[in-house]
Amino acid sequence: MNHDEAAKLLGPYRDGELDLATCLKLEEHLAGCPSCQQKLVAEQELVELISAETPRFKASPFLKTRIQAALREEKSSPMETSWWKHFSPTWAFSGLAIAVAVIVILAAGLFSTQRIPELDQEAVANHVRSLQVNHLMDVASTDQHTVKPWFAGKLDYSPQVVDLGPSGYPLIGGRLDVLGQRNVAAIIYQRRKHYINLFIWPSGPSALHDHLYNQNGYHVVGWAKSGMNYLAVSELGEKELKEFVGMIQDQTLDSRPGE
Amino acid sequence: MEQYRDAGENLSQPNFEQVFLPHLDAAYNLARWLLRNDQDAEDAVQEAYMRAHKAFARFRGGDGKAWFMTILRNVCYTMIKKLRSQETPEPFDEEIHQTVGESEMQEAFRQKANAESLHVALEKLPEEFREIIVLHDLEGLAYKEIATVVGIPIGTVMSRLARARGRLRAEIVAAKAKESLS
Repeated sequence: MNHDEAAKLLGPYRDGELDLATCLKLEEHLAGCPSCQQKLVAEQELVELISAETPRFKASPFLKTRIQAALREEKSSPMETSWWKHFSPTWAFSGLAIAVAVIVILAAGLFSTQRIPELDQEAVANHVRSLQVNHLMDVASTDQHTVKPWFAGKLDYSPQVVDLGPSGYPLIGGRLDVLGQRNVAAIIYQRRKHYINLFIWPSGPSALHDHLYNQNGYHVVGWAKSGMNYLAVSELGEKELKEFVGMIQDQTLDSRPGE
Repeated sequence: MEQYRDAGENLSQPNFEQVFLPHLDAAYNLARWLLRNDQDAEDAVQEAYMRAHKAFARFRGGDGKAWFMTILRNVCYTMIKKLRSQETPEPFDEEIHQTVGESEMQEAFRQKANAESLHVALEKLPEEFREIIVLHDLEGLAYKEIATVVGIPIGTVMSRLARARGRLRAEIVAAKAKESLS
């Protein structure tokens, strides 16, 4: 890749929008080009300045009420049944349920590579620590729309949070964690009395291979999808953890979700 | 998702408010940056919700945020056109501009210089650049989603965002130079 090409791609690189092959080529050029390195830093600073210093206008609560009222007047739609009436009693089972905590770790450092066993061991250690020191969750919520925004502003990427409550793996919360020297988001699911930690982070050039790792009764399942690495950790049986992973894989979208 | 399943509802026909009200803040933010005042932004957002509700039967699932933001953006541009055709230059009101003492104003400006100059710089950008900065750097939409909302190819999103950031950087630098001169 020549210098002019590389310079044009610094923005998309910073935004995490390059495909793996282009990413690698750009990094190769970047390593030997102080000018591009400088530009990348400037780009990063500008975007940080924009998001830190520019007001994000918030809709007033009155606007929401106004819109809801206006929508209600449009009686023609049969879709106006209040969805909360259908709220599932699945949560009632969580008391006798084994907790499954899925921690999704979203890594801030996009491009460092790490050997998988080390990462798996660290993930197990994180999982165990999360259960011991009562810091399982920073945000407790069974609502994916609460957990997901919580990560916004704490991480430079947005994790997909899916709810598997109906399938017996309720979402119970999330927290920030560190894995492979990155800040990552962790999403926690519960299955009976067990937890599953699911770590998710941008894979960059080091996408995880599908793998299973066992250590002292803990299981780790790793995979990559749509530019994100996933590690699910639990003391749950292998079979159930795999079932859980299958559902997560089915429900995570191929492109970035809308919100 | 569980609500739909437990209710045995068709997955392709989820509740309108549930799908789109979570995008209220994102919608308002874009409308407010494009229209530059609260009242117009609120009207645009409400209008967009009404239009989306009418068109909801045509929504086939997928990226609800991009779908809704596309509608909102169209409403905003229609309003901008209308407002421009009615625009009358505002007379400079000396009384208002004198209510704050000179030194207080200077102090306030120094404190807020960064945020202020950035705000002003962003407002100065043409709409096509302003909206892409808001959509990407404030709202965190992916290039692909922006391509849908704005109706341009991804390659154009990439180059337009680069130009928008370049313009913004130039505005900030110019504002700082002016500041240090005075």
